[in-house]
Amino acid sequence: MKFFSANKLEIITFIVRIILGGVLLASGILKAKDPAESANAAAAYKILPTNIAHLFGYGLPWLEIAIAFLLILGISVRLAAFLGGFIMLVFVAAIASVWSRGILIDCGCFGGGGVIDPSKATEAYRSYFLAILRDLALALGGLYLYFFPHGILSFDKKSITNA
Amino acid sequence: MAKSSKSSKSSGDKFTRWLVIGMVALVVITGGGFSLLNQNNKNSEALIELNDFKVGAPIPASIDIINGSAIALNTGATKVIDIWVDPQCPACKVFEDANGGYIDNLIRTNKASVRFHILSFLGDESVRAANATFCAADEKHFLDFHKALYLVQSPVKNSGFWSNETLLDIGSAVGIKSKSFQDCVTKGSKLDLVKANYGSMEKFGIKGTPTVFINGKLWERKSSDFNLAEFSAAVEQG
Repeated sequence: MKFFSANKLEIITFIVRIILGGVLLASGILKAKDPAESANAAAAYKILPTNIAHLFGYGLPWLEIAIAFLLILGISVRLAAFLGGFIMLVFVAAIASVWSRGILIDCGCFGGGGVIDPSKATEAYRSYFLAILRDLALALGGLYLYFFPHGILSFDKKSITNA
Repeated sequence: MAKSSKSSKSSGDKFTRWLVIGMVALVVITGGGFSLLNQNNKNSEALIELNDFKVGAPIPASIDIINGSAIALNTGATKVIDIWVDPQCPACKVFEDANGGYIDNLIRTNKASVRFHILSFLGDESVRAANATFCAADEKHFLDFHKALYLVQSPVKNSGFWSNETLLDIGSAVGIKSKSFQDCVTKGSKLDLVKANYGSMEKFGIKGTPTVFINGKLWERKSSDFNLAEFSAAVEQG
């Protein structure tokens, strides 16, 4: 019975790893394909000074891709889950900040980004709400992996990650 | 993270953890650094390509204060075109790439009066470039400078590329080497005109760029690439 339930957890861990890792991989690759766009998208949030926001925009896709690889391959899942969950919370905070200041942008979550036309305000606010929900759910996934990092098809040895 | 494990395991854990953090940092720094350097290279290469720029004949420009302090060229023709652009707007580059030569020709062959409204709502670098554009108009090289700006426009806005030095380099590539231009660019002598252009957007109902009026009538384009066939047909019709 114990073995059976542990096995189920391992499968759930694997699924959560693939979901969080898959989303990060997709968003990372889409951003990395157009670095200039990613730099502009980061600056459009008007949180960091422009030149630092550009650096963030250049580096972020690679951070997402790196975390995605760790999660999908199952390497240092606990650490990767922490990093992945943490950046999701950063995204939530950034979108909430933009929303509260009434700035109208495309979040650039999966490439794209930048200021959008005021006539599309309603859709923008709706997309902020959905993006926050999505990122919170993914952060919860990260939290789950932090506590249950061991799953099937993983490079991690049970003794190392199940601390 | 590994507080509950035994000490030997914990030191192995720590090593793995730092190794992975190091690898992640390496990927981020290499990837991000490559993207940044690549963009900077593209910017410098674009500047170097300006060396082949064919400078046109000087053409006088005036400021049309009544019409939003726009830069007016070849005033007095029956056909009047108003063009509203921001130096950093990517769509304006598409418009310029497609129709710049045609518009140039309209002005030089006396077929139309064209008023350029140089906006600056995309940040500091738009303000700086707009100021330099008004300076270039004073030097009778508006058309060349305007074209050259869009040739080297960086896809990253406010990246620091359009410094005063770069703007002076662009000027010198299109044959503007005078002391007055240097002073005008570095001192921001035309900032009041930059402000006046920006400030007139509301009065003329400008919501985005590029916006074009042909004889006072808004050009409602059907294509997204601002193609020359459509634009020139609209101009001919007037």
